Amino acid sequence: MPHSRRRFLKMTGGTAALAALGLPGSVLAQGAEAGQLILAYPTDVPTWDPNARSLAPVQSLYKCVFDQPLTQAPDLAVEPALVTEYSFSDDGLSLDLTFRDDVLFHDGSKMTAEDFRYTFYERPQQPVPEGGRRLDTAFLWRKVTDIAVTSPTTCTMTFSEPMPSAVTWLYFLCSYVVPKAYLEKVGLEEFQRAPVGTGPYKVVEYQQGSRIELEAFADYWNGKPAIDRVTIEIVRDPTARVAAIESRRAGAAIDVPVREADRLGQMPGLVSTIDPIADIVLLQITKNGGFKDDAVRLAAHYAINKEAINRAFFLGNATPIDAPAARGTPGYPEDFELGYSEEKAIDLLASVGYGPANPVEITFFTTNGVFPNDYDMARAIAAMWQKVGINAKVEAVEASTYQERLRAGTLPEATMYQWGNATGDPVMYAGYLLDPNSIFAAMKSEDLGEMIHPLLVEMDADKRHAGYRAVNKFAVEHGYTIGIVQAVKTIVHEERVHVTKYDNGWILPATWSIG
Amino acid sequence: MLLVALRILFFRLLVAVPTLIAVSALVFVILRLLPADPAAMSLPPGATAEDLARLRAALGLDRSIPEQYLIWLGDLLSGDFGISIYFRRPVADLVSTALPNTLELVLSGLLLGVIVGVAGGLLMFRARGGRGEEALDVVSSAMMSIPEFLWALLLILAFGVAVPLLPFIGRMAPGMMTPPGVTGFLLLDSLIAGRLDVFFSLLLHLVLPAVALAIALAPLIMRVLRASLVEVAGDDFVTQARLRGLSEQRILFAHTLPNAALPTISLIGVQAGFMFGGTVLVEVIFGYPGLGNLIVDAVRNHDLPVIQLVALVYCVLVLAINAAVEVIYLLVNPRLRTH
Repeated sequence: MPHSRRRFLKMTGGTAALAALGLPGSVLAQGAEAGQLILAYPTDVPTWDPNARSLAPVQSLYKCVFDQPLTQAPDLAVEPALVTEYSFSDDGLSLDLTFRDDVLFHDGSKMTAEDFRYTFYERPQQPVPEGGRRLDTAFLWRKVTDIAVTSPTTCTMTFSEPMPSAVTWLYFLCSYVVPKAYLEKVGLEEFQRAPVGTGPYKVVEYQQGSRIELEAFADYWNGKPAIDRVTIEIVRDPTARVAAIESRRAGAAIDVPVREADRLGQMPGLVSTIDPIADIVLLQITKNGGFKDDAVRLAAHYAINKEAINRAFFLGNATPIDAPAARGTPGYPEDFELGYSEEKAIDLLASVGYGPANPVEITFFTTNGVFPNDYDMARAIAAMWQKVGINAKVEAVEASTYQERLRAGTLPEATMYQWGNATGDPVMYAGYLLDPNSIFAAMKSEDLGEMIHPLLVEMDADKRHAGYRAVNKFAVEHGYTIGIVQAVKTIVHEERVHVTKYDNGWILPATWSIG
Repeated sequence: MLLVALRILFFRLLVAVPTLIAVSALVFVILRLLPADPAAMSLPPGATAEDLARLRAALGLDRSIPEQYLIWLGDLLSGDFGISIYFRRPVADLVSTALPNTLELVLSGLLLGVIVGVAGGLLMFRARGGRGEEALDVVSSAMMSIPEFLWALLLILAFGVAVPLLPFIGRMAPGMMTPPGVTGFLLLDSLIAGRLDVFFSLLLHLVLPAVALAIALAPLIMRVLRASLVEVAGDDFVTQARLRGLSEQRILFAHTLPNAALPTISLIGVQAGFMFGGTVLVEVIFGYPGLGNLIVDAVRNHDLPVIQLVALVYCVLVLAINAAVEVIYLLVNPRLRTH
């Protein structure tokens, strides 16, 4: 219809009149319509190329649109997804995979082993244009020497050395199958604008940093999701997320502050869950400065009352840990407890000439607001240390500063840190946090390397897990690491929204329902 | 007058070039001197120390700061704004998508702040010496003493939660689709597309963030305008206008206000620049997809190419506002046209 001045005036006049009366319908829509879920979510994806960045907080968003070869049940058990069967060769140098034959991409094309090869071998190997960056999959799958496609539903991955963690990586960061034909046809830029995956939802609208509109994929191999439409509102500010659920503008809000989650859970019509997940909060420890002595580091661990921290900051909902792993995961040494003891801390410090009257001076880095209660927990720990004779100067730093100091090997004695590991596999905890060759390890101790390096190629899962339990126990006993608590995931939702909770904190609307 | 205005704009353009170079150099150097490593921030598990060194070399971080700056400046002049370290997308795309949203927000906040501020200033002037002025003084003090981000939260709690009148999340209603991008300005694009439902939704979503920004500006305008009006009201020409029998309203609007407006215009110019800074937290709180939201991610991840370009864009905007203020000066004050 042609636009005329009269039509414009008529339309604007009419709408203005409606506005004066209170605009109805879509204009004033602030809550969800039938079959729609509005989710107040704290983070956005940096890019819709799911192979590009390995950022733990955005994996749930990618899992709405893309699929991984394998996936996890709510209790973290490994489950088939695109891959139905897998088996390693005896030498651990190859991995046979069998795929479903009923998987469609959102553009209607069929997913085959060729797409898998493209995702995990061809794309990571592609030359990087000047000024461009390698995909994170190029680092994660660097041991892959080839993927031989033997049929549309079978292939064999081969590795330069045994990679027992390959199966774990098939359901961890970045491992999302992308469509070879579509990506090669439209190019990366268009793919990022209009991503196509095999996941339960299609992206129908995206505003960077603000909103993701998802529509259920009718031909999803695992059945169309119960919720037809999901609007993910990116609300970074926790107070605004609280307001969003309190006002019912959102049907669910994620990662609201623990005390607010507790308060909201007592409101009629709202349900609140506050649960420990597989991510962990720990102190990254070095042997620098005042922490060069094992006794001082161990004393620092004994002096931390983690139950008090749990009560004060998580209302008792967190789970204290000693080792760098979540309790109940295969690498956690369940039969070992360091315990809290001011007396032991004082005795250890006294053995090396320190005490409340003659404290050891250290610097304690912490971020402020990067994860819940980071700065406040650091201050509380510093106060606990002061009582036994460790005088910690708490310094708030940016995450990028931490990374620079980590790279340069100039981190101070202790740093408050959160580590994400949705898999629960010990290689993703100690394998990166304690291996002196890892760029994520603050503690560079060769005795840890000697214990960990054989485990990186150990194909027997039981031996590997037992090995990591021993590593974790050894590391704690020598003050190489100080676990604090498992991170906590808060979800506040309307009663009508039925939520599936995952022990790794995944938020997957495809597993939720309304009504 | 047009010639004078063009001369001013030309002069401003001349001054802008060295200003932009100086600002870009300053931002560039400061960012490089900070103890932060964007390369390490962006590497995944599995990366080695050698990978880190290679990435630092690829990003040019292993070169001297002057060398890095000259390369960046050369690329900038050739239209290459670089690739974002965090978003892995061209920086120009990210900024050009976010900028119109921020401009819409700032212009709305500015317009609202000017309307409320001028109206409040006139009311204070008319009520001078009375209870009304005292009351307005208290109100303006309260408005000034609370920062924008706190106003943002208070507005959300008041009009989003307690009395749920207005939306406070995002740019438009859930489920609504963005109109085809013609100008990049969503308000304009929705009108061009004939999508009045989208247009009104955009307007409603602008209200609270714009008010949060305007609240910081309005009381300043109120106070400066009132003070200027009081000063001008004592001038001889006002007394003579009164002797000629002109009504108080006509004296105020036809004589006193135009002569008292110059300091207020200067103030608006300065505050408009500050308002861009105020958008950072306001955009984060309201989930508003503008430059503020973008820069927060960029700073958290030490995304140097994005920070550098956004800083430059802010600088260009402030220079443009200064030029606009000078031209408005010309329009309002004929005496300046002869200089």
